[in-house]
Amino acid sequence: MAILALALLGACKREVRELRPDPPVAAALGGVAALPVGIGGRPPEVYFALGKPYRTNAYQLSEGKRLYAWFGCAECHGQGEGTARGPALLDGWWNYGPAMETIYLSLRDGRPGGMPAFHTRLTEDQLWQLAGYVQQLGAYSGGAAAPGRSDEPPVRPAENRAPARFAPLEP
Amino acid sequence: MRAQPRDTGREEAALEASLAAVWSSRPGLLGWLTTVDHKAIGRRYIVTAFLFLALGGVLALLMRWQLAQPEGRLLGPDRYNQVFTMHGTTMMFLFAVPVMEAMGVYLVPLMVGTRNIAFPRLNAFSYWVYLFGGALLWIAFLLDMAPDVGWFAYVPLAGPQYGPGKRADIWAQMITFTEVSALAVAVGLVVTVFKQRAPGMSLDRIPLFVWAMLVTSFVVILAMPSIVLASTALILDRLVGTQFFNPAAGGDVLLWQHLFWFFGHPEVYIIFIPAVGMVSTILATFCRRPVFGYLAMVLALVGTGLLAFGLWVHHMFTTGLPRLGESFFTASSMAIAVPSGLQIFCWLATLWGARPRLTVPMLYVLAFLFTFVLGGMTGVMVASVPLDTQLHDSFFVVAHFHYVLVGGAVFPLLGAIHYWYPKLTGRLMEERLGRWAWGLVFGGFNLAFFPMHLLGLWGMPRRVYTYPPELPWGGLNLFSSLSAALLAAGFLLFFWNAWRSARHGEAAGPDPWGAGTLEWATSSPPPPWNFTRIPVVEGADPLRDSPDALKVAAGLRLDRRELLLTSVMAAEPEARESSPRDSVWPLLAAIATTAMLIWSIFTPWAVVWGAIPVAATLIFWFWPRGTPEDES
Repeated sequence: MAILALALLGACKREVRELRPDPPVAAALGGVAALPVGIGGRPPEVYFALGKPYRTNAYQLSEGKRLYAWFGCAECHGQGEGTARGPALLDGWWNYGPAMETIYLSLRDGRPGGMPAFHTRLTEDQLWQLAGYVQQLGAYSGGAAAPGRSDEPPVRPAENRAPARFAPLEP
Repeated sequence: MRAQPRDTGREEAALEASLAAVWSSRPGLLGWLTTVDHKAIGRRYIVTAFLFLALGGVLALLMRWQLAQPEGRLLGPDRYNQVFTMHGTTMMFLFAVPVMEAMGVYLVPLMVGTRNIAFPRLNAFSYWVYLFGGALLWIAFLLDMAPDVGWFAYVPLAGPQYGPGKRADIWAQMITFTEVSALAVAVGLVVTVFKQRAPGMSLDRIPLFVWAMLVTSFVVILAMPSIVLASTALILDRLVGTQFFNPAAGGDVLLWQHLFWFFGHPEVYIIFIPAVGMVSTILATFCRRPVFGYLAMVLALVGTGLLAFGLWVHHMFTTGLPRLGESFFTASSMAIAVPSGLQIFCWLATLWGARPRLTVPMLYVLAFLFTFVLGGMTGVMVASVPLDTQLHDSFFVVAHFHYVLVGGAVFPLLGAIHYWYPKLTGRLMEERLGRWAWGLVFGGFNLAFFPMHLLGLWGMPRRVYTYPPELPWGGLNLFSSLSAALLAAGFLLFFWNAWRSARHGEAAGPDPWGAGTLEWATSSPPPPWNFTRIPVVEGADPLRDSPDALKVAAGLRLDRRELLLTSVMAAEPEARESSPRDSVWPLLAAIATTAMLIWSIFTPWAVVWGAIPVAATLIFWFWPRGTPEDES
């Protein structure tokens, strides 16, 4: 019984599909307190209140994966292996560190060297979805939730089977 | 060697006492968990299946509430997807198929005059597996984790790219549970019908319901492997990274639809054929004459079972198949009208001038005839490709298959519950309440579902969670939803009647209807050993042919559970065979299987490690314990 109750509690938020967040929630999601250097910072309160779904919810991750394809991320980053124009995302080496809010800031504001800013093209929650997917690509250990492989010719192991290749920098 | 006590020439009371000592289950919870009595398990199956019917019905009401008005606010799109998937999956896999098999589990051994179903422990195992599979699906629903891909789970929407999370995996694994339990029951029923019939019950004396269950069991055995294959391939695609359904890597999306419908269409007949058997049984009893054209009826049942495997493609007419394929499957789909029509005319001939007693079971049979013929007509309509192209995925199809499934299977089932209720509980269901429930169910159903034909013709698609007010669908949808409330009230009344009659119903004797088949030869409800003496059959209607004294067979041992094996064709006695005792291991094996199957949703290694407890429980299950039953 206890195991069952635990499983119920643990699974509570795992599969929830928030198709469209409430407008005030979506607006609050943009309130990242960034450090002046643009690396690291504090996510908004609402991010924690939601239960950090963008890394633990399979639906949010798979939405991130769709955005990755739709917004041309593959042009520079390939399927995560990187190209001459953009760094790899799969190898676990992060130019600005692996923190979720940093990846969010990279996506929102762009980075020197060609990374464009996406804040005019994506909504706040979409930015978080994409950040979650990108972080998951280079994560050091497999998570409980992952998007499935695409129905495309396989060029690399599927996301749900591929933790980053390099030794962990942080747990 | 010790002399073995036999039942030859014993006094009735002494005989019953020694049979009770061998066949009774232990009292209390342990006895409840360990019993292998087909009647206890059949009753349990039926109650559980009706519980799932009620749950699935609540989901249907939620959908009707949502669709009653344009832009309804009760359910969001995501929840609606889960609700219609749960409704379909629950009704097909957790209600319709199990309840039909459950009726077979309860009635077939009684109707063929034997003491227990073949492989009774496997039968107990099948119930537990079914229960746990149903629990898996519904707990997932409570966790917002229910499948949302339709009861057919088409790829690519159910595949790894478009089906994130574990929802489709839960669907696929739930299918595995129902496959296992359905196959286990089917095997037991086939062996019971072939080898355990009462002496003298040759093939042409088998009751029509038993024939129907036999054909159904074969259809289960032949159809289920297809869905085993399909759901396993789906899980492998999603979990292990195989590419069965990925066209980019040499897989095939349509392969899913072929495999699914090669099972899915026979599934419809798995539900329908037992219902046909129920109709024949009820008609024969209340018309007080045997069903007209016994041979034609049996051949129609077998023909339906065979044709069931030749028309799955009519579910796929809009996928762009070769013209020849479409023509072939149109023809075969229309051909199913031949055996169905044959049966309808045999029933009409039975009714002709018979002055049937209009009891509640008989009323349900009449409701069945009316509704099923209507559903069959629309079936012939959607069997033609040009019309199907227009109607595909519209509410017309929803109306069609509810007419066929509710009219063709649920009405006979409700009639059968009323008819066999005395055999299940020893009491009759209340007639007046039953008539009210019948009226509400029959009227409510037709009022709720007939307008859907029109909605479909007016272009309303299936599986939409709402529609804009500009479209002309609001009025009929509201009417349909209000009528659905009538239907629900009818079911509520039926449940209330069944609940109340179990306690306060009029006590029924062994044969309250004056029926002719063997299950009425024993007391209501029957003792654990079914028949104190094994009956001998000399005609198709044993109780009517010899109303005063049924001939019986003797010579069975009394110190162990023993039953009589007879030959397949003529049912000549061949051997005495032991029947297993109660055991807790089927339950434990079912728990181990459940753990393995659920675990394997999360990692493929579960199949390796989870197989160890399964193997261990099976070893204990079959371990000889030195009981008299172990002697060969």
